[in-house]
Amino acid sequence: MTEEYAHPEVLVTTGWVEAHREDPQVRIVESDEDLLLYNQGHIIGAVRIDWQNDLQDPVVRDYISRPKFEELCAAKGIGNDTAVVFYGDKMNWWACYAFWAFKLYGHEKCFIMNGGRRRWELDQRPYVREEPEYPRTTYRAREPDLSIRAYRDEVLAHQQALKPLIDVRSPGEYTGELLHMPDYPQEGALRGGHIPGAQSVPWSRAVNEDGTFKSRAELEKIYLEEAGLKRDGERVIAYCRIGERSSHTWFVLKYLLGFEDVKNYDGSWTEWGNLVGVPIERSV
Amino acid sequence: MNAAGNRGLTRLDEIIEEFAELEPRERLELLLEFAERLPPLPKRYRAEREAGEHRIPECQTPVYLWVEVADGTVALHADVAPEAPTVQGFVSILVEGLTGADPTDVLTVPRNLLQRLGLLETLGMVRMRGLNSIVQRIINEVRVNSAGNG
Repeated sequence: MTEEYAHPEVLVTTGWVEAHREDPQVRIVESDEDLLLYNQGHIIGAVRIDWQNDLQDPVVRDYISRPKFEELCAAKGIGNDTAVVFYGDKMNWWACYAFWAFKLYGHEKCFIMNGGRRRWELDQRPYVREEPEYPRTTYRAREPDLSIRAYRDEVLAHQQALKPLIDVRSPGEYTGELLHMPDYPQEGALRGGHIPGAQSVPWSRAVNEDGTFKSRAELEKIYLEEAGLKRDGERVIAYCRIGERSSHTWFVLKYLLGFEDVKNYDGSWTEWGNLVGVPIERSV
Repeated sequence: MNAAGNRGLTRLDEIIEEFAELEPRERLELLLEFAERLPPLPKRYRAEREAGEHRIPECQTPVYLWVEVADGTVALHADVAPEAPTVQGFVSILVEGLTGADPTDVLTVPRNLLQRLGLLETLGMVRMRGLNSIVQRIINEVRVNSAGNG
């Protein structure tokens, strides 16, 4: 079933994870919106990596530095050769975000457990509460891979050149009717709308009810036919509000559909919608 | 008795103290204990819950809250989506900490309750700010509900 994707090797099933949960070459990583879900129960052997407490710098709005990333991996028992499998709540939002952050620092063997917590629970597979401990590793991260990360100046140049942008937020955020995501008032911006020229394809269209990704044919219909994106054409930049939902879409485009050049603009709307003087389009 | 002659928020103060004494990791465990002992919603409110009433719109997770004021005492009842144990835990702290309190005392709930519990640093700023709207909702409803019972 997953063989049809462009890079099927990055997806693993819940069954594969259950079979490999004690494999020393594999480290299972849970990344959630709700931090307590891990305490309540997680896949045996899984460690927690939190987008906010672990992957974000606590002071500067940025990802953690390369030395901090190395320390994080060392402490979680992740070596440079470890196969890291990410899963989580919210249809794997944060799992994809963590996957993207690991790719930023050049980790080679990254995987997503298709369907995340929802599929695991539907399968009635077990959770445990014990937190595992692993021997420390020595981890060497690479220089950040900026081929997957877009900064605002690049986004502005990209927009001015009328190159493809994809806005993965909810329709109300895209039109400018909402100044924040429904139910996330703390992630506001001073202006509503979208980056001019960006196409609206809400991230959630890429997943099935059970949290797994839609089939390649369904995804092609959405992203290639409806949105008119081209796989081997110009660079595509995806954004949302803080870069988490767009890392989900980034994953879909790059690994499931095989786009050659796709970047995540993690500054996203909380940066763009607060910048002075940048162009904004509203459609309300 | 406090200056206003009321009982004060004794239970909430105890809970704050319990949290403050813990290491961040232990705070998560205690928060989970609270999440798991949130009392089930009383039968009399289930129909309203099914109808989607009493939801707190500002909260990212479905949170349904009932605030009762009777005989000079506040009682809280709530239902929170099980996939959000953090919110469940915080609501459970409020239910346990404020039920039985005097309405005028409930109006004095610390505005920085999340910081006082040490949860802001544990759970992260971005995530927790939405929870303040639950406290605000309780204060507003207690104010409205107790106006006529003066």
